[in-house]
Amino acid sequence: MEQTVQGILVVNTETIPGMMITETLGVVSGSTVRAKHLGKDIFAGLKNIVGGELSQYTELLQESREEAVGRMVADAMSRGANAVVNVRFATSAITAGAAELFAYGTAVKAE
Amino acid sequence: MVEVGGLLVLGISLVVLLPFLLLGLIGMLWTVAYPLMLCWAVLFSGKKLDQQIVNTASREASLRESLGRDPLTTIDGGYRTDITSCGVVWSGVVFGPSHWHLLIGWINNLTGGSVDIFQKVISAGRAEAMQRLREKALAEGYEDVINVRIDTSDMTPQGARKSIKAVEVFAYGTGVKYT
Repeated sequence: MEQTVQGILVVNTETIPGMMITETLGVVSGSTVRAKHLGKDIFAGLKNIVGGELSQYTELLQESREEAVGRMVADAMSRGANAVVNVRFATSAITAGAAELFAYGTAVKAE
Repeated sequence: MVEVGGLLVLGISLVVLLPFLLLGLIGMLWTVAYPLMLCWAVLFSGKKLDQQIVNTASREASLRESLGRDPLTTIDGGYRTDITSCGVVWSGVVFGPSHWHLLIGWINNLTGGSVDIFQKVISAGRAEAMQRLREKALAEGYEDVINVRIDTSDMTPQGARKSIKAVEVFAYGTGVKYT
Protein backbone atom coordinates (compact mmCIF):
# COMPACT_ATOMS: atom_id res chain seq x y z
CA MET A 1 0.00 0.00 0.00
CA GLU A 2 2.46 2.65 -1.04
CA GLN A 3 0.16 4.98 -2.96
CA THR A 4 -0.97 7.37 -0.26
CA VAL A 5 -1.53 11.08 0.41
CA GLN A 6 0.62 12.16 3.39
CA GLY A 7 0.66 8.63 4.77
CA ILE A 8 -3.11 8.20 4.56
CA LEU A 9 -4.71 5.90 2.03
CA VAL A 10 -7.50 7.60 0.07
CA VAL A 11 -9.91 5.54 -2.06
CA ASN A 12 -13.41 6.13 -3.42
CA THR A 13 -14.56 2.54 -3.00
CA GLU A 14 -16.51 1.40 0.04
CA THR A 15 -13.87 -1.10 1.07
CA ILE A 16 -10.11 -1.21 0.72
CA PRO A 17 -8.98 -4.14 -1.42
CA GLY A 18 -6.83 -6.46 0.65
CA MET A 19 -7.50 -4.73 3.97
CA MET A 20 -10.06 -5.06 6.77
CA ILE A 21 -11.74 -1.98 8.21
CA THR A 22 -11.69 -2.31 11.99
CA GLU A 23 -13.13 1.01 13.11
CA THR A 24 -14.93 3.99 11.55
CA LEU A 25 -14.10 7.44 12.85
CA GLY A 26 -16.82 9.55 11.25
CA VAL A 27 -17.14 11.77 8.22
CA VAL A 28 -14.14 13.94 7.40
CA SER A 29 -14.25 16.79 4.94
CA GLY A 30 -12.18 19.53 3.44
CA SER A 31 -13.17 22.48 1.34
CA THR A 32 -11.57 25.44 -0.35
CA VAL A 33 -12.55 28.45 -2.43
CA ARG A 34 -9.96 29.63 -4.88
CA ALA A 35 -9.78 32.09 -7.75
CA LYS A 36 -7.31 33.12 -10.42
CA HIS A 37 -6.11 36.71 -10.79
CA LEU A 38 -7.86 39.15 -13.10
CA GLY A 39 -5.41 38.75 -15.98
CA LYS A 40 -6.10 35.03 -16.26
CA ASP A 41 -9.85 35.65 -15.96
CA ILE A 42 -9.72 38.08 -18.88
CA PHE A 43 -7.65 35.68 -20.93
CA ALA A 44 -10.08 32.86 -20.19
CA GLY A 45 -12.94 35.15 -21.20
CA LEU A 46 -11.29 35.78 -24.56
CA LYS A 47 -10.58 32.09 -25.03
CA ASN A 48 -14.21 31.30 -24.24
CA ILE A 49 -15.31 33.22 -27.36
CA VAL A 50 -13.60 30.67 -29.60
CA GLY A 51 -14.59 27.74 -27.39
CA GLY A 52 -12.73 24.65 -26.35
CA GLU A 53 -10.81 23.96 -23.19
CA LEU A 54 -10.13 26.76 -20.72
CA SER A 55 -6.81 25.53 -19.34
CA GLN A 56 -6.59 28.32 -16.72
CA TYR A 57 -9.72 27.02 -15.05
CA THR A 58 -8.74 23.37 -15.48
CA GLU A 59 -5.56 24.23 -13.59
CA LEU A 60 -7.49 26.23 -10.98
CA LEU A 61 -9.79 23.33 -10.20
CA GLN A 62 -6.89 20.87 -10.13
CA GLU A 63 -5.06 22.99 -7.53
CA SER A 64 -8.19 23.56 -5.46
CA ARG A 65 -9.02 19.89 -5.45
CA GLU A 66 -5.55 19.02 -4.21
CA GLU A 67 -5.96 21.58 -1.43
CA ALA A 68 -9.41 20.25 -0.46
CA VAL A 69 -8.12 16.66 -0.36
CA GLY A 70 -5.13 17.82 1.70
CA ARG A 71 -7.46 19.41 4.26
CA MET A 72 -9.63 16.32 4.36
CA VAL A 73 -6.56 14.17 4.97
CA ALA A 74 -5.40 16.52 7.74
CA ASP A 75 -8.83 16.12 9.36
CA ALA A 76 -8.53 12.33 9.11
CA MET A 77 -5.02 12.43 10.60
CA SER A 78 -6.22 14.46 13.58
CA ARG A 79 -8.75 11.71 14.29
CA GLY A 80 -6.07 9.05 14.22
CA ALA A 81 -7.27 7.32 11.05
CA ASN A 82 -5.01 5.59 8.55
CA ALA A 83 -7.37 5.61 5.56
CA VAL A 84 -10.28 7.54 4.07
CA VAL A 85 -12.83 5.47 2.14
CA ASN A 86 -15.79 6.32 -0.10
CA VAL A 87 -14.50 9.77 -1.02
CA ARG A 88 -16.89 12.03 -2.92
CA PHE A 89 -16.28 15.40 -4.55
CA ALA A 90 -18.68 18.30 -4.97
CA THR A 91 -18.19 21.58 -6.85
CA SER A 92 -20.12 24.81 -6.79
CA ALA A 93 -19.45 28.05 -8.64
CA ILE A 94 -19.91 31.05 -6.38
CA THR A 95 -19.18 33.76 -8.94
CA ALA A 96 -17.60 33.48 -12.37
CA GLY A 97 -13.98 32.54 -11.83
CA ALA A 98 -14.22 31.36 -8.23
CA ALA A 99 -15.08 27.80 -7.40
CA GLU A 100 -15.78 26.02 -4.15
CA LEU A 101 -14.41 22.52 -4.02
CA PHE A 102 -15.55 20.12 -1.38
CA ALA A 103 -14.19 16.65 -0.69
CA TYR A 104 -15.62 14.30 1.91
CA GLY A 105 -15.28 10.72 2.98
CA THR A 106 -15.30 8.35 5.91
CA ALA A 107 -12.19 8.14 8.08
CA VAL A 108 -11.42 4.57 9.07
CA LYS A 109 -8.81 2.46 10.76
CA ALA A 110 -7.82 -0.46 8.55
CA GLU A 111 -5.42 -3.36 8.89
CA MET B 1 4.08 74.42 0.23
CA VAL B 2 1.24 74.95 -2.21
CA GLU B 3 3.09 73.01 -4.92
CA VAL B 4 3.80 70.06 -2.61
CA GLY B 5 0.13 70.02 -1.57
CA GLY B 6 -0.93 70.07 -5.19
CA LEU B 7 1.38 67.20 -6.06
CA LEU B 8 0.08 65.19 -3.12
CA VAL B 9 -3.53 65.66 -4.22
CA LEU B 10 -2.58 64.70 -7.77
CA GLY B 11 -0.77 61.58 -6.52
CA ILE B 12 -3.64 60.45 -4.33
CA SER B 13 -6.22 61.03 -7.05
CA LEU B 14 -4.06 59.03 -9.50
CA VAL B 15 -3.84 56.10 -7.09
CA VAL B 16 -7.60 56.23 -6.49
CA LEU B 17 -8.44 56.50 -10.19
CA LEU B 18 -5.92 53.94 -11.43
CA PRO B 19 -8.19 50.89 -11.05
CA PHE B 20 -10.97 52.70 -12.94
CA LEU B 21 -8.56 53.75 -15.68
CA LEU B 22 -7.37 50.16 -16.00
CA LEU B 23 -10.93 48.88 -16.14
CA GLY B 24 -11.73 51.45 -18.84
CA LEU B 25 -8.68 50.38 -20.83
CA ILE B 26 -9.65 46.71 -20.55
CA GLY B 27 -13.19 47.58 -21.64
CA MET B 28 -11.85 49.39 -24.71
CA LEU B 29 -9.56 46.50 -25.60
CA TRP B 30 -12.48 44.11 -25.15
CA THR B 31 -14.72 46.04 -27.55
CA VAL B 32 -11.95 45.94 -30.17
CA ALA B 33 -10.98 42.32 -29.61
CA TYR B 34 -14.46 40.84 -29.33
CA PRO B 35 -15.61 41.20 -32.98
CA LEU B 36 -12.27 39.87 -34.23
CA MET B 37 -12.42 36.86 -31.93
CA LEU B 38 -16.05 36.24 -32.90
CA CYS B 39 -15.13 36.25 -36.61
CA TRP B 40 -12.35 33.78 -35.87
CA ALA B 41 -14.84 31.65 -33.91
CA VAL B 42 -17.35 31.66 -36.79
CA LEU B 43 -14.68 30.53 -39.23
CA PHE B 44 -12.68 28.04 -37.21
CA SER B 45 -14.43 26.90 -34.00
CA GLY B 46 -16.30 24.05 -35.70
CA LYS B 47 -13.07 22.75 -37.17
CA LYS B 48 -11.28 23.12 -33.84
CA LEU B 49 -13.99 21.11 -32.09
CA ASP B 50 -13.79 18.34 -34.71
CA GLN B 51 -10.01 18.23 -34.34
CA GLN B 52 -10.36 17.96 -30.58
CA ILE B 53 -12.80 15.04 -30.94
CA VAL B 54 -10.55 13.23 -33.44
CA ASN B 55 -7.47 13.80 -31.26
CA THR B 56 -9.11 12.41 -28.12
CA ALA B 57 -10.55 9.44 -29.98
CA SER B 58 -7.20 8.52 -31.53
CA ARG B 59 -5.38 8.73 -28.19
CA GLU B 60 -8.06 6.54 -26.64
CA ALA B 61 -7.88 4.02 -29.48
CA SER B 62 -4.09 3.73 -29.35
CA LEU B 63 -4.12 3.32 -25.56
CA ARG B 64 -6.81 0.67 -25.76
CA GLU B 65 -4.88 -1.13 -28.46
CA SER B 66 -1.65 -1.17 -26.45
CA LEU B 67 -3.40 -2.43 -23.30
CA GLY B 68 -5.89 -4.74 -24.97
CA ARG B 69 -8.70 -3.42 -22.74
CA ASP B 70 -10.22 -0.27 -21.30
CA PRO B 71 -8.73 0.43 -17.84
CA LEU B 72 -11.86 2.20 -16.56
CA THR B 73 -14.72 0.37 -14.87
CA THR B 74 -17.61 1.68 -12.80
CA ILE B 75 -17.96 -1.45 -10.67
CA ASP B 76 -16.76 -1.53 -7.11
CA GLY B 77 -13.78 -3.76 -7.84
CA GLY B 78 -15.06 -6.96 -6.27
CA TYR B 79 -14.17 -9.23 -9.18
CA ARG B 80 -10.42 -9.46 -8.59
CA THR B 81 -8.79 -10.32 -5.30
CA ASP B 82 -5.12 -9.87 -6.21
CA ILE B 83 -5.05 -6.09 -5.74
CA THR B 84 -1.84 -5.00 -4.06
CA SER B 85 -2.11 -1.24 -3.97
CA CYS B 86 -4.75 1.40 -4.51
CA GLY B 87 -5.39 5.12 -4.28
CA VAL B 88 -7.69 7.79 -5.60
CA VAL B 89 -7.01 9.37 -9.01
CA TRP B 90 -8.90 12.19 -10.62
CA SER B 91 -8.84 14.49 -13.62
CA GLY B 92 -10.97 17.40 -14.70
CA VAL B 93 -11.45 19.49 -17.80
CA VAL B 94 -13.17 22.85 -18.08
CA PHE B 95 -14.75 22.96 -21.50
CA GLY B 96 -16.96 25.54 -23.15
CA PRO B 97 -18.79 26.11 -26.40
CA SER B 98 -17.65 29.06 -28.52
CA HIS B 99 -19.94 32.06 -28.81
CA TRP B 100 -20.75 30.98 -32.35
CA HIS B 101 -21.90 27.61 -31.02
CA LEU B 102 -23.96 29.43 -28.38
CA LEU B 103 -25.68 31.33 -31.18
CA ILE B 104 -26.38 28.12 -33.12
CA GLY B 105 -27.67 26.54 -29.92
CA TRP B 106 -29.93 29.51 -29.26
CA ILE B 107 -31.46 29.26 -32.75
CA ASN B 108 -31.81 25.51 -32.28
CA ASN B 109 -33.57 26.19 -28.98
CA LEU B 110 -36.22 28.31 -30.70
CA THR B 111 -37.28 25.44 -32.94
CA GLY B 112 -37.04 22.87 -30.16
CA GLY B 113 -35.90 19.28 -30.42
CA SER B 114 -32.43 18.08 -29.62
CA VAL B 115 -29.73 20.75 -29.40
CA ASP B 116 -27.02 18.68 -31.04
CA ILE B 117 -24.28 21.29 -30.92
CA PHE B 118 -24.19 21.44 -27.09
CA GLN B 119 -24.33 17.67 -26.89
CA LYS B 120 -21.29 17.53 -29.17
CA VAL B 121 -19.33 20.10 -27.15
CA ILE B 122 -20.02 18.52 -23.78
CA SER B 123 -19.35 14.97 -24.94
CA ALA B 124 -16.02 16.14 -26.41
CA GLY B 125 -15.11 17.54 -22.98
CA ARG B 126 -16.21 14.35 -21.27
CA ALA B 127 -14.20 12.12 -23.60
CA GLU B 128 -11.14 14.30 -22.93
CA ALA B 129 -11.60 14.09 -19.15
CA MET B 130 -11.92 10.29 -19.29
CA GLN B 131 -8.88 9.97 -21.52
CA ARG B 132 -6.85 12.12 -19.12
CA LEU B 133 -7.98 9.93 -16.24
CA ARG B 134 -6.70 6.87 -18.10
CA GLU B 135 -3.38 8.54 -18.89
CA LYS B 136 -2.95 9.88 -15.37
CA ALA B 137 -3.69 6.52 -13.77
CA LEU B 138 -1.19 4.76 -16.02
CA ALA B 139 1.40 7.49 -15.37
CA GLU B 140 1.00 6.98 -11.61
CA GLY B 141 1.66 3.27 -12.08
CA TYR B 142 -1.86 1.87 -11.74
CA GLU B 143 -3.18 -0.80 -14.07
CA ASP B 144 -6.92 -0.24 -13.74
CA VAL B 145 -9.29 2.37 -12.38
CA ILE B 146 -12.32 0.99 -10.56
CA ASN B 147 -15.47 2.65 -9.25
CA VAL B 148 -15.22 5.51 -11.74
CA ARG B 149 -17.66 8.39 -11.24
CA ILE B 150 -18.18 11.26 -13.66
CA ASP B 151 -19.54 14.60 -12.49
CA THR B 152 -20.48 17.56 -14.60
CA SER B 153 -20.79 20.92 -12.92
CA ASP B 154 -21.67 24.29 -14.32
CA MET B 155 -18.92 26.91 -14.07
CA THR B 156 -21.47 29.63 -14.89
CA PRO B 157 -23.30 30.82 -11.78
CA GLN B 158 -27.07 31.17 -12.05
CA GLY B 159 -28.15 34.67 -12.97
CA ALA B 160 -24.74 35.78 -14.20
CA ARG B 161 -25.61 36.59 -17.77
CA LYS B 162 -22.35 38.07 -18.97
CA SER B 163 -19.80 35.58 -17.83
CA ILE B 164 -17.91 32.56 -18.97
CA LYS B 165 -20.04 29.78 -20.40
CA ALA B 166 -18.35 26.53 -19.52
CA VAL B 167 -18.88 23.23 -17.77
CA GLU B 168 -16.39 21.28 -15.76
CA VAL B 169 -16.29 17.56 -16.39
CA PHE B 170 -14.66 15.76 -13.54
CA ALA B 171 -13.86 12.05 -13.55
CA TYR B 172 -12.48 10.19 -10.55
CA GLY B 173 -11.94 6.65 -9.40
CA THR B 174 -9.69 4.34 -7.44
CA GLY B 175 -6.54 3.28 -9.21
CA VAL B 176 -5.51 -0.30 -8.51
CA LYS B 177 -2.41 -2.37 -9.13
CA TYR B 178 -2.38 -6.15 -9.40
CA THR B 179 0.31 -8.60 -8.38
